[in-house]
Amino acid sequence: MIFEHEIPTGSRLYFGSAARKKREIEGIASDILHENGFEEIVTPLFSYHQHQSISDERELIRVNDSKNYQVSLRADSTIDVVRIIDKRLGRNTVHKKWFYIQPVYRYPSAEQYQVGAEYIGESNVANVLDQAIKIVDRLRLKPLLQISNINIPKVLAETLDLSLDDFRHINIEKFLSLKIDWLDRLVYLQHESQIDEVMEMVPDAIKTELQKMKELSAELAYDNTVLAPLYYAKMLYYDELFFRMIEGNEVYARGGRYKNDEVSSVGFAIYTDTLIERLEK
Amino acid sequence: MLTVALPKGRIAEETLEIFENIFGEQFKFDDRKLILETTDFRFLLVRNQDVATYVFHQAADIGVVGLDTIEEQGLDVIRLLDLRRGICKVSIGMRKGEKLDLTKPEIKVATKMVNITKRYFSERAVAADIIKLYGSIELAPLVGLADMIVDIVETGTTMKQNGLEVVEDIMESSTYLIANKNSYHEKKSEVLDIYEKINKVVKG
Repeated sequence: MIFEHEIPTGSRLYFGSAARKKREIEGIASDILHENGFEEIVTPLFSYHQHQSISDERELIRVNDSKNYQVSLRADSTIDVVRIIDKRLGRNTVHKKWFYIQPVYRYPSAEQYQVGAEYIGESNVANVLDQAIKIVDRLRLKPLLQISNINIPKVLAETLDLSLDDFRHINIEKFLSLKIDWLDRLVYLQHESQIDEVMEMVPDAIKTELQKMKELSAELAYDNTVLAPLYYAKMLYYDELFFRMIEGNEVYARGGRYKNDEVSSVGFAIYTDTLIERLEK
Repeated sequence: MLTVALPKGRIAEETLEIFENIFGEQFKFDDRKLILETTDFRFLLVRNQDVATYVFHQAADIGVVGLDTIEEQGLDVIRLLDLRRGICKVSIGMRKGEKLDLTKPEIKVATKMVNITKRYFSERAVAADIIKLYGSIELAPLVGLADMIVDIVETGTTMKQNGLEVVEDIMESSTYLIANKNSYHEKKSEVLDIYEKINKVVKG
């Protein structure tokens, strides 16, 4: 039995000051992104291509179109934004910097409001990450910025007796049990000031990837940054540097570099609902 | 400052002993108090099944809990270190003399650990009817409620006393030091420092 006051689990309801905070976050984000040359795009709620970006298709909310082709509700904005700009708007625009302010939906009834930016054809993560920093800064928040590089766990899983699952579960015991001095140092690596010392010890393939982390951290000069070279999360599209902005147990933003049809792009998503909750405290 | 969630009972006592060993001071909860604050730590006394929940939601940065409980709950926390204490097995028990036959069309299993049981039987493509019980699991096969049970076995005495015996082990378990994923990155040096110190005691 469903009572009159019920709303589905995972759906969002904002009113009064929370709704105002939502507008404020979206207003600040839109001002900053416009000021920095990003154009807004609003993509369809219904999509034919969501299965390309969602690792578990069961998370999609599916319906059918008039010809009985399968359509799903937008569960991720990035791939649709990039695909529409490339495949549908390619003849109308050469613009590369885009942002969106729209929710995503996951099965059975989860809604998540997001602000995202995509810089198509760009491979320097700093060029979007600095926008995310400006947004949290204007909201007077100072989350921890975690910089990681997905190539490091990948190279280590190929060359050492480790699996990607060991990285996903942060299997410290296993890393340290290999008794490799430079791997121990990677486990302990946390700050930019420690990275040069570690870079002198690691194999070349890792050194190149650490160098990219170092450069990104140095370029941003954001003083609440940690480096997490062994961090690995199950994500379908990031292919090199990626980042999270976290505070306590919450993630405010996530982004990184990805490839679409051999074109490298960088982007991020800010989780509006989490920020509203934080700003309401 | 790290917040440490400990399960009430023997594991809490053993873990506090480890901390006492490391820091050379006494860690003792006052009568009926659930929080113990020291200079560097805040210990919380919670129910065994709640430890991983406290850590997952970052009400505690680290915690100590059995691997069987972690597997049963399936919460995404870091398993930092096997403390090699509280060693036990999760096993299938049947009435003495009966044999495990997974080809039977209908198998009824009584257990507290529904998820571990479900996973075990589904990996073997066996359609098992799982009956959740909250205690006295050994009773189920004796009164025809289930063909077998899945339960924690330390010495096997409880099963034996009730006319049951272990027919197969599903997993081995011991207590683990676990950590919250964000706390690990935010407080890495503190977390790894306590990891190292506890590791020395455990392996020493």
